[in-house]
Amino acid sequence: MALSNTVYNLLFKRTSTFMLTIAVGSFAFERGFDRLTEYIWESHNHGKLWKHIKDKYE
Amino acid sequence: MIGVVGKPASVSNFFKATSSLVQSPLKPLTPATLDAEPKATLPVQFKPETSYSISQTLPKTGLVAATSSFTGVNQVRFAHTDIKVPDFSHYRREGVSNPAASSKSSDEARKSISYLVAAGSAVGGAYGAKTLVTQFITSMGASADVLAMAKIEVKLADIPEGRNVTFKWRGKPLFIRHRLQSEIEKERSVVLSTLRDPQADEERVQNPKWLVLLGVCTHLGCVPVANAGDFGGYYCPCHGSHYDASGRIRKGPAPLNLEVPKYEFPEPGILLVG
Repeated sequence: MALSNTVYNLLFKRTSTFMLTIAVGSFAFERGFDRLTEYIWESHNHGKLWKHIKDKYE
Repeated sequence: MIGVVGKPASVSNFFKATSSLVQSPLKPLTPATLDAEPKATLPVQFKPETSYSISQTLPKTGLVAATSSFTGVNQVRFAHTDIKVPDFSHYRREGVSNPAASSKSSDEARKSISYLVAAGSAVGGAYGAKTLVTQFITSMGASADVLAMAKIEVKLADIPEGRNVTFKWRGKPLFIRHRLQSEIEKERSVVLSTLRDPQADEERVQNPKWLVLLGVCTHLGCVPVANAGDFGGYYCPCHGSHYDASGRIRKGPAPLNLEVPKYEFPEPGILLVG
């Protein structure tokens, strides 16, 4: 409860800080989401990508 | 004819009244007497057809009240007093579940959840919009296979002095010329005011020994012939444009100098174009 009070008062109460939260959150979310989806895709296609078979040919 | 004249003795001059009855020349009307016939009564054929007439047939007052509409379902409500107020506590947030307690203490916690949802949607929307725009813009750019072929690396030691070598780069001929010292000096001494597209030789080369050009004539796109023409540089056989050993137009129909692509020398003896 104390955490949500702090979050509300610091981030959400003012429109300016709310928008700033969204802007900063978008960058953080993008990094995290891209890394996660990339990781899932690469683990799903393990052994098929060039970086996995590169050592066979170079 | 009847005439009445009252004459009191003293005031007879002031009060005088005459009343006369004149017989009308018209004959009096004889009143028509109708036989009172019984009124014809139509048989009542009340058939409720409009929403209004339907509603008129419904009971309005008393213990039973009914509503009606033309399109809706007719319903009859029976007033009774055993309706239970539903329990909404399952839908309530914890902070306001107790109706006796003040809701102000849980105000910030409840609001923060609402704003968190809004902020989360905004973050997701911003990410989605950015991705969409990026996808559309990158679809206009060069594809990966084109980008992979977009650069060409040339070993300069293979090109002897005074020779012009042609490579294929991005689907176009690329001229690399190892210029002689005499050629360099000749091109540097050219007076710029005599040129159609004035450009100093120093602007067109990074290293004066190496001239890098796109081998496309600026007139109509033919490939010029190296080491030919009146100025010792290039000659376009299509319409007779003469370029000098710096690739500048000197004679003929072409309007501009031969194009110099972006290139660099990443290490001595290696030329990287692109």
